[in-house]
Amino acid sequence: MAENFEIGDREAADDAAFAERIAVPLRAQERAHPSLEKRLMDRVRMEGPALYPARADSHASWWWTRRVFEYTPLTGLAAAAGVTAIVALSSVAIGTRIGSRNHDVARPTTAAVKPDTIQLVRFVFVDAKASSVQLVGDFNEWTKGATSLKPSGAPGVWVASVPLQPGRHEYAFIVNGTRWVTDPLAVKSSDDFGTESSVIRVARPGKSEA
Amino acid sequence: MAGLSDAELIASVLNGNVESFSGLVKRHQDSCARFAVRMLGSRVDADDVLQSAFMRAFRGLRGCKDPEHFGGWLYQIVVNECRTYASRQRRREQRFPSSTPAIEGAVAPGSEAETDPDVGGHIERALGTLPTDQREAFLLKHVEELTYEEISEMTGVSVSALKMRVKRACDALRGQLEGVYNG
Repeated sequence: MAENFEIGDREAADDAAFAERIAVPLRAQERAHPSLEKRLMDRVRMEGPALYPARADSHASWWWTRRVFEYTPLTGLAAAAGVTAIVALSSVAIGTRIGSRNHDVARPTTAAVKPDTIQLVRFVFVDAKASSVQLVGDFNEWTKGATSLKPSGAPGVWVASVPLQPGRHEYAFIVNGTRWVTDPLAVKSSDDFGTESSVIRVARPGKSEA
Repeated sequence: MAGLSDAELIASVLNGNVESFSGLVKRHQDSCARFAVRMLGSRVDADDVLQSAFMRAFRGLRGCKDPEHFGGWLYQIVVNECRTYASRQRRREQRFPSSTPAIEGAVAPGSEAETDPDVGGHIERALGTLPTDQREAFLLKHVEELTYEEISEMTGVSVSALKMRVKRACDALRGQLEGVYNG
């Protein structure tokens, strides 16, 4: 009996050694087809909104969005400056923008503004994965497609300048045509159905409210 | 995205940010590819299976009860998809015997096996002749290096049956590769 065990053990050891020799080349790394991710994501984008609808922006969904940013010096600057949002500019400051480390995010300018001048407000949205960003608000009657942000040229940074009357305005962003995103740094407002939007107050010329 | 855990990416997808799924694809596609290619012996077939498996995972993401172990859950889907695919291929071969077999004796083009025909090619060809259940058990045990308990949990097959399959696979491979490894 002891001899049988010995033979059995030896056989098992031989099997293990043989299996190991066979397995080593089979453990070589394989790479998925380079187009697999794109094909999958094309389908995910088609099916995803129905399966996992974007929640009317909760803070949580925003922060998820923030965390997938690809960090670049420019987006880092934007984030440090508290951007998703808004910079109120007077009509004479259209050219001001996020430009370099030596230039802060544009600030309201009051010089040479007539009392009835419409303020030009620059909206900046940062999301490296966005393929389209739209702005909706009371100023465009919440019309999807009325105000599209354009790529600024920096990765993931989208911008639009919108003329606004002084006063209180509500707005939100729509990302990739479906995802409703509010500005985490702005005051929130909810409608009767619980949908959140952000609030901006545009100062009258000569005042610093923003 | 690379800094997020699987659980965080899943939560993001469930929250409506479907783009986060690409992070899961990037992270797991290559490890799944290895098993699928070895199992099916064809990169083309493996690619089909991976696409199908990842889409099943995406659609059933709410069913992933332990998001921190998404990899294991996905792997189980890949194993099942490979099994289904192999079974479908076998049925097709029986119905249309003249069609080119996609599994038996197939070697993935450009793979390690092809670049080293003296060893890797022989092994992959021998592997391709094994019955699907033996090939699956051998790969999971010796290539993916899972324990019998893990394989049993994944496949629903008892540990003793798995050991028998692996033993038979080894015997068959030894018989075929005698000339290469001298037994």
